Amino acid sequence: MPKLTIDGHEVEVAAGTNLIEAARAAGVAIPYFCYHPYLTVVGQCRICMVEIAGQPRLALGCATPAADGMVVKVESSERAREAREAVMEFLLANHPLDCPVCDQAGECLLQDHSMREQAATFATHMLETRRTFPGYERRLIGPHVVQNQNRCIHCSRCIRFTREISGTAALTYKSRGNSTFIDTFDGSAFDDPMSACAADVCPVGALTVREVRFRKRAWKLRSTPSVCPGCSIGCNVFIDHHERVVYRFTPRENPAINATWLCDHGRFLAESLNEQAYLDPQHRSGGLAVRVGWGEALAGIAAEIRSAGALRVVASANLSNEELFLARELFGRHFKGEIAVPVAPGEPRKMRNGRGEWLHATDPHPNSTGARRLGLAVVDGEGLSRFLYGGAGLTLILDAGAHPFLASPEALQLLRVGTTIVWARREHPAAHAATWLLPTPSLAGNEGTFTSSTGAVQRFAEAFAAPGSVHRTATGAMSPTCPTIASPWGPPGEARPLWVVLTALARALGVAALDLASPADVFAAMVRKDKAFAGLTWETLGGRQPHESFRERQHVG
Amino acid sequence: MSTRPIVAVPPEALRIVTFDAAMEASIAELLPRYPTRRAAVLPVLWLCQERFGWISPGVVRAVAARLGESPAFVEGVVSFYTMYQTAPPARYVLQVCTTLSCAWCGGRELVAHLKERLGISFGEKTPDGMFQLVGVQCLGACGTAPVVQINDDYYENLDVAKLDAILDELAGRS
Ligand code: SF4
Ligand code: SF4
Ligand code: FES
Ligand code: FES
Repeated sequence: MPKLTIDGHEVEVAAGTNLIEAARAAGVAIPYFCYHPYLTVVGQCRICMVEIAGQPRLALGCATPAADGMVVKVESSERAREAREAVMEFLLANHPLDCPVCDQAGECLLQDHSMREQAATFATHMLETRRTFPGYERRLIGPHVVQNQNRCIHCSRCIRFTREISGTAALTYKSRGNSTFIDTFDGSAFDDPMSACAADVCPVGALTVREVRFRKRAWKLRSTPSVCPGCSIGCNVFIDHHERVVYRFTPRENPAINATWLCDHGRFLAESLNEQAYLDPQHRSGGLAVRVGWGEALAGIAAEIRSAGALRVVASANLSNEELFLARELFGRHFKGEIAVPVAPGEPRKMRNGRGEWLHATDPHPNSTGARRLGLAVVDGEGLSRFLYGGAGLTLILDAGAHPFLASPEALQLLRVGTTIVWARREHPAAHAATWLLPTPSLAGNEGTFTSSTGAVQRFAEAFAAPGSVHRTATGAMSPTCPTIASPWGPPGEARPLWVVLTALARALGVAALDLASPADVFAAMVRKDKAFAGLTWETLGGRQPHESFRERQHVG
Repeated sequence: MSTRPIVAVPPEALRIVTFDAAMEASIAELLPRYPTRRAAVLPVLWLCQERFGWISPGVVRAVAARLGESPAFVEGVVSFYTMYQTAPPARYVLQVCTTLSCAWCGGRELVAHLKERLGISFGEKTPDGMFQLVGVQCLGACGTAPVVQINDDYYENLDVAKLDAILDELAGRS
């Protein structure tokens, strides 16, 4: 393991580590534009030049492996500073400098570096007018990616992404020299299944994402670590949100699962997190649905459960491990109910991890693996229909979106027969067949863990509390409703995460062991009880290790 | 005069391109000379240009498929070089050297004369499809400047009168 000194900081790194990563470990930031930790090193942009004692020429931080005894100067080298200034002059010579109207502003490597070296004058020796690409300033090159060629700094990250990661090799340089631009074959649509990652890796505003651009300035967004709900692979994401509105998912680095990538399908689920069709608990009697408070709902449901002859629970592979555990213990163990977890067929999805291997999704749920590891009965559509035909007094549907079969006329007919309690967030026909309808928040309003198809137990955090959900006993009266927050998605509602409702039900039903105060407590109980989770601790679970935010943000671009 | 006219296959016929046995044979002969298939992109494109007169998107697709590259990559390569024609060329492509030696030895007059006589500028074709004018950098024949390359042949030590005679001769052919 080479030991070296960078700007006076001594650091020991794994053999083969380049100077950029070694410096990062030493707490020194070497700027870069074309380098990306998961793409090949090309040494194209030259901004990463550093001085190495004893070497006459400056070296590239991205292309130079750390060696034992090396003495590297970054900030402390006058020559390196001059070289960086020269590179910036070169890059800015033709750059439109339109940061005020550029949606990348705030997360642009070029802008960041300009800001960092503010002391520099960036004098230009250019006499010619700026080169432009008429017709290429606002060009939709695929379903999700908008190109502004004037801003491109020719780092080739986007091209390398399509060649090395998504494998479509759909992007290329065209023409040469000063007129080089990015394009697809014959101008065809850039419909790569991971196309938006090309905009992610673009260090500047040359490629931006159509769905997100101009909706919110980057510095307004808060990022909450979470897990993509799109399939069983479980890519790590940040939920980027502002004032209780979700704007986008951005990839969160995890070398074992998604490196720094997301598929377009998963990425664009972010918007759907804002849907909240049901805001209050409802009780239906005689065909008429009335809004009720949580207190009344919990008491009513507890009574239904106590008096039920037979109990059937349709759980869901979209629920967290904690919620599935609570359902299993409460309904399965204490009330001897039958539980089934339906798993829907999904489109084939794949993701490239940090070692370059493809992971393949088994289904469209984030936690089917968790359901299996908890020993729950996983069923397909047919199994679900048989389960519902089984006939019982009381049916609980913990997530209306668990399986498309639940929305079929056949299922609705079955649900109308007995008493049905449905948890739902998005508009769903089963809600109309429910005796009790309970609103749940989206992933952004919940907290817990999912188990990925590779078996990694990954935590997702709550981006914002659904109004009123801070107290699990959920009596309504205790909810800190906040009428001043005008969300474009409607008034704040009373949606409660399922774990909150299940622990509250446990209390109402006198099951003290499950009257737990947080997902962390539920997790701890699960670790004690289930071998599949043995040895894990909430604090160190995958996805919540302390990340170095500089790296997180900088390489994503 | 030996200069062979370019016979450009029309775009409709080059929409979907499949290589015939002769073409495949030439490609098979080329490939062993290169360390990777990717390295053979340039000569295979060149073969195609000789055969079809120009490189259509259909040709790009066929070359990409044959060499295991993406069409985008091959098209990028084509766009890097000025010597690949990306639209059906005229029968005679006049590549006029505009670099120093030629410029000093009368090249500038040649350029001015050609533009006037043909009524077109660099990058254009005459409406009858006979001539196409391309300004290029040093053709490596500075010793015999000024130089014009017509299709595959060099015409050296030119002046306006010689050039006119050549063009008359070419224009006179059917
Ligand atoms: S479009 Fe962006 S990622 Fe692609 S070469 Fe230009 S600056 Fe780099
Ligand atoms: S591969 Fe699956 S988990 Fe990853 S981003 Fe796509 S849908 Fe989400
Ligand atoms: S040359 Fe090293 S980061 Fe671009
Ligand atoms: S300058 Fe014209 S051939 Fe060299």
